[in-house]
Amino acid sequence: MIFNSIPFFIFIGIFLPLYFALRGKARLWLCLIASYFFYGWWDYRFLSLIVISTALDYLVGLQLGKTEEATARKRLMLLSMAVNLGFLAFFKYFNFFADSFADVLVSVGFEPSWHTLNIILPVGISFYTFQSMSYTIDVWKKEIPVEKNFLRFATFISFFPQLVAGPIVRASEFLPQFQSDRKFDWNRIISGSGQMLWGFFKKVAVADSLAPFVDQCFAAPDTFSSMHLFIGVLFYSFQIYCDFSGYSDIAIGLARMMGFDFPENFRTPYFSQDFSEFWKRWHITLSSWLGDYLYIPLGGNRNGSFGSIFFIGLFSVFAIGVTGWMWLIPAFLLIYAGGYYYLRQGKKQKAKTFTMMNLMVTMLLGGLWHGSSYVFILWGFLHGAYLIFQRILGPGFGKLLDSLHTPSWLRMGINVAIVFSLTSLAWVFFRSPDFETAMSVLSGIANLETFTFGSVIHKFVVLKGVFVVGILLMVEASDLKFNYQEVSLRKPIFRVVTYTLLLLLIAFMGTFDSDAFIYFQF
Amino acid sequence: MKNSLWIFAVLAITFLGDRAIGYVMQQQAADSQFRYARLYDNRAEADILLVGNSRGLIFYQPYIEEVTQSETFNVSYNGMPIDLANVLVQDYFDLYPAPKKMVVDVTMCDRLNDQLMSDFKMYAPYSEKLSKLLKDKSDTAYNGSQFSHLFRYNSELYQRNLFFQNKTDEDWLLDRVISDGMVEGSADLKDYTIDFQPTQKTKQVKTSFEYVTNQLVDMVTDSPTKGTDVETNPEYVINQLVEMVKYAQAKGTEVELVINPYFPAFANKIVNIQDLKRTVEAKTGLPVNDYSLAVKETAGFGDYQHLNKAGARTFIDKMLADNVLK
Repeated sequence: MIFNSIPFFIFIGIFLPLYFALRGKARLWLCLIASYFFYGWWDYRFLSLIVISTALDYLVGLQLGKTEEATARKRLMLLSMAVNLGFLAFFKYFNFFADSFADVLVSVGFEPSWHTLNIILPVGISFYTFQSMSYTIDVWKKEIPVEKNFLRFATFISFFPQLVAGPIVRASEFLPQFQSDRKFDWNRIISGSGQMLWGFFKKVAVADSLAPFVDQCFAAPDTFSSMHLFIGVLFYSFQIYCDFSGYSDIAIGLARMMGFDFPENFRTPYFSQDFSEFWKRWHITLSSWLGDYLYIPLGGNRNGSFGSIFFIGLFSVFAIGVTGWMWLIPAFLLIYAGGYYYLRQGKKQKAKTFTMMNLMVTMLLGGLWHGSSYVFILWGFLHGAYLIFQRILGPGFGKLLDSLHTPSWLRMGINVAIVFSLTSLAWVFFRSPDFETAMSVLSGIANLETFTFGSVIHKFVVLKGVFVVGILLMVEASDLKFNYQEVSLRKPIFRVVTYTLLLLLIAFMGTFDSDAFIYFQF
Repeated sequence: MKNSLWIFAVLAITFLGDRAIGYVMQQQAADSQFRYARLYDNRAEADILLVGNSRGLIFYQPYIEEVTQSETFNVSYNGMPIDLANVLVQDYFDLYPAPKKMVVDVTMCDRLNDQLMSDFKMYAPYSEKLSKLLKDKSDTAYNGSQFSHLFRYNSELYQRNLFFQNKTDEDWLLDRVISDGMVEGSADLKDYTIDFQPTQKTKQVKTSFEYVTNQLVDMVTDSPTKGTDVETNPEYVINQLVEMVKYAQAKGTEVELVINPYFPAFANKIVNIQDLKRTVEAKTGLPVNDYSLAVKETAGFGDYQHLNKAGARTFIDKMLADNVLK
């Protein structure tokens, strides 16, 4: 079931009154049944995966609570990891790794012959798997207590507002909120419904209005002019942002109405002035998950680990094997030699080298988390490279701007423009079905002969796109200084005006025939 | 403000705002110079009625009017499907004295386009036939436009309506010269088929209430009702053309069927153009004037399927010479 559909409004219209009418266990049962119904609406067979993950992590949690023996605890944690990641690996990555391995074998002269399977990707598997795993890891690390109530635990894993596309809510943040009944609170209804409305505006008025233009660009890039493709790429940057953050806003708003607090998932990311800031503002719950459960265990900004070195080596082999570009061999060797040389220059340099290595591994795996395709890994690689180059070149660039006595507003503008441009460049790979399409889009944009507005087809769609993106940017820019939620709580007139305006804008600008949210596929 | 009162305030103001803004937009839209605004505002009386999709826009009206000394009205629009054109043409005949001639580019029988149909929701209040077609083809658009009047103006068509508010759309034509890249690429064109028998899909939904009920049924059963085809008719498109032709003939209008020009290299790649011609001739009982290769000059094309102004003049001269426009 998707948020922007009539069945969802019927569903929520029945669910919310029942939710507030019930108390205690009955309310938890309602949440669990509603969550399973919500998920089963897509394909009830895959509910079994959620049930297995839930049961396993619940039992592992109970056992972890009973034993203090380190080896046994580690085994239990590894069992949970193996099963959860096993599901993820099978449903999401089996064909990708099978194909990739075959490509590597072919590149070294073997002729493997096997068939990949026709596997359906269960909606939201990456989200609930990470959520479930975070519980086991935190219990293993004794950072949170064991949850003994199965009903509470199952509801935490499958809670429908954020089940299929996040935000990824950690057990430490969410489970304690189930300890007592969440009370009906008008302030929560006000701010929750406001955030939901804003989410709907982002999804149906911005993301879905831009989608057809973007789809056309990436379906046949060779047939469009440079300006057309350029606008298509810019539109995609806003489409994916509004599609995903729109979903998060609806999920967070709905949960808030129900009495739950979810962490923020997006904070005006396109106003970021550097890439570290971008990742603190974009898909915040995934960034912090990867930071806490991957980047820091890899060594963070202090140490290296065998895992990092192994993964970078593996990535290099796959990159060479899959692309067949032999020039990558000396290129990688040069990078490793440079890294090794720098590593030996002292403690500070060693820490810097490890930081860069760990950042790259985290971003590569972050890319792979999104999907089983090289374009996602390449997207992760680009963001890893941005973070590394920012560390290398950033201070020098800052000094250059200082020496030119650049005013702060201009400096901010330059930084925001650089981050947005490079992020949009990376989105080209993320959106393209394959590497060739991405290159066609980029080479099409580079053909500056056709960089004229006259060459753009569907100018009226562009006009509408510019209008809705303009509204979005205006609101987001003003939100940096003006807290809409807070003001709408204090001033009923303001609330009535803004909510009414949003509803009218949705009716006038919305697109109501789209299928799903982009992040459902992840 | 009392806790729950603001919700009613939002809903009430939204409803009133929707109706008020919808009314203003309706008034503004009706005053536009855009073709469909004129059609439904009794400002479209003509001697020659021109019908097509984007390829029908090459019936360049200023030149036709200049050489024939006749008033014209062009129903054509980008991606116009024949069933929608049929309704618009019938509405024209219901609202105005029958024109002397109606010229139809039969290559518009190559598609159905429910998306464009939904764009026409802003004109549905003016036409029972259009309203019925919208109801049959796009339940979201139909129910949405009943629910919200502002939603009626949520379309590219409304933007065009605004664009042509104070200026004529009669010279609306893609006026550019085909790019060198396209000309070079024409040597490698693949075979192209005009799909003149796309399958019609009709949804069972009739009212907002039924729609919501069906959604509820979908929620609890394993047999979804949404999008269920109740009729699949491969001859639907041609039948719509025949119906349109008969309607015009019954009103005493002479109908001319034509195949508008294609870029020669592209025309040669269309594998079934003669099939289309034969089928249409057999079903309508009228000859089809084939101009698919009538314009040879590269400079006369905007792309493979559309003439520019220069090409349109050449084409119109040929139709004039063949008495198609007289």
